[in-house]
Amino acid sequence: MLKITDLRARLDAEDDAAIEILKGVNLDIPAGEVHAIMGPNGCGKSTLSYVAAGHDGYEVTGGSIAFEGEDITEAEPEERAAKGLFLSFQYPVEIPGVPTLTFLKEAANAQRKARGEGPISAPEFMKLARENAAKLGISNDMLKRPVNVGFSGGEKKRMEIFQAMMLAPKLLILDETDSGLDIDALRIVADGVNAMRAPDRSMLVITHYQRLLQYLKPDVVHVMSAGRIVESGGPELAEQLEAEGYDKYATEAA
Amino acid sequence: MAAPVALNPFEERLIAALPDSGTDWRARLGRQIGTHGLPHRRVEEWKWTDLRAALAKSEAGAGELIVKGSREPDETAPVSSAPFLLMPRLAAALGGDARVFRIGKKQDGPLELDLTVEAGMGHGVVVVNVARGVKAELRERYHVAPGAFANIAVIINLGEDTELVRLVEQADSAEGVLVVTTGAELGEGARFDQTTLGFGGRLARLETHVGHPGEGAEVILNGAYVLGQGRHLDQTTYVTHNGPNGVTRELFKGAALAGGKGVFQGKIHVEREAQKTDAQMNHRGMLLDERAEIDTKPELEIYADDVVCAHGAALGAVDAEALFYMRQRGMTETQARAVLTESFLAEPLDRLADEDLKTRWMDMVRGALRPDG
Repeated sequence: MLKITDLRARLDAEDDAAIEILKGVNLDIPAGEVHAIMGPNGCGKSTLSYVAAGHDGYEVTGGSIAFEGEDITEAEPEERAAKGLFLSFQYPVEIPGVPTLTFLKEAANAQRKARGEGPISAPEFMKLARENAAKLGISNDMLKRPVNVGFSGGEKKRMEIFQAMMLAPKLLILDETDSGLDIDALRIVADGVNAMRAPDRSMLVITHYQRLLQYLKPDVVHVMSAGRIVESGGPELAEQLEAEGYDKYATEAA
Repeated sequence: MAAPVALNPFEERLIAALPDSGTDWRARLGRQIGTHGLPHRRVEEWKWTDLRAALAKSEAGAGELIVKGSREPDETAPVSSAPFLLMPRLAAALGGDARVFRIGKKQDGPLELDLTVEAGMGHGVVVVNVARGVKAELRERYHVAPGAFANIAVIINLGEDTELVRLVEQADSAEGVLVVTTGAELGEGARFDQTTLGFGGRLARLETHVGHPGEGAEVILNGAYVLGQGRHLDQTTYVTHNGPNGVTRELFKGAALAGGKGVFQGKIHVEREAQKTDAQMNHRGMLLDERAEIDTKPELEIYADDVVCAHGAALGAVDAEALFYMRQRGMTETQARAVLTESFLAEPLDRLADEDLKTRWMDMVRGALRPDG
């Protein structure tokens, strides 16, 4: 589904002295699998999610990103979205004046148009919205409010998962979705994500802590340090990290 | 006052149409323009809207202001007293009799006026008088054809306890020049609620002066604008609080595309007697291109010592993180920009009670933001 090869990237600064943040990342996520990336703050894991989604604040200086066998390294963010890549933001952006459902319908139809499909009908869209909102305990009132405006941290994360459900991506990247969530909210979000697991859908879970992974049960856990993936293993790797911390990798990287 | 200027051919034609001697106000106006010319960038109130330059090469000759109304005026009458400011004074001098509309009881529907100059120059004066206790709605649409010049004075008199909702639509007038100067006087307890939507022209100026009596009276001035290539729109407001406890709210929001220029000048003047005035004025502009320009000057002039007055002005560009977020969800960059700008501009138009008009105006905003279709 997603194949990242020797990916190098830096902040897109005016001068050439910008520090490389990704220093040769290799990652291969087959269809249907859930992979986790864990690592200390500043290791480059959030940057990886931005670069994968096509944020123009970063410059790819080497390597490639392939999505379903197609090179998307240079693709616009909206092209990647239409192909089925969804990034759940660590800090979802507030958009005053644009009601959530209006926003989502416009986005869904833009994706469909890019894929050569006709627009979704309003009743069909509303039915889908009601079903998905119910799964996440999202009220009608929340859907009418402008995108993310006035929502708590936990509500914003819930809305991100709601948006993912509505757009039904092939690859779901969760960037620190557990940050700012209390234990109840974490459970609701995790249940929502688990409900989306499917043989033709992959997930990349980026997190600092193990607690979200207890619910999501990843197939593979990667450890990232200083811009590289330094170790990969099964779910037990996450438990080991929780117990021992990241010190070992920090030393190795230095 | 600025030094005498060398007149351009357009100004010479204007003056030729005015009496050339005597002590009558029309003759004095001729001498005033003869010495100082039309308002230009060295005149403080017009520093961003150089009317003189916009008309310098104008070939607009004799023309006519066409006023199509939902009904005929109640009377046409000579202008009883000359307006103080130069442009409405010129409108009165060259516009013939004023068209006077009286709203004396409950209306069947809004008073609708289409004001157009199709060729040459057209001047005119429109008077709207609302009798005591009446609630009324006035809708005006302005359009100026390419090469034409319209100069219109609107005089609004609101009796005690009246309410007037005024909705002004300034249609896109490429290569047309428009000046509309409004003077509104409010009686005790009157409410004046104005919303403008403008798309500019070669040069367009909507200037509104309001005399606020204080206590129980309320002034609302809202506006939105979208200015494309080669369009200039100036919205200038002056509210004078003459009595205590008056309330004024102003909210203007606009967007300028490449080659568009917006101007907002807002002044709130609080007289010594106008204690406990509560006035707020806000203008927010969005520059959608590096080649867009918006100039803004909010002013408070306060002679009372116990008032709550605030003004805010901010210019911004579309937020880069919001753009990325929307594109990540699948919108194209153009679409994301348009959605963000529409939502930004919707605020001053949100209060329109007529849903059909609100929809039409938002459609016009959407169309203007997508000049390429």
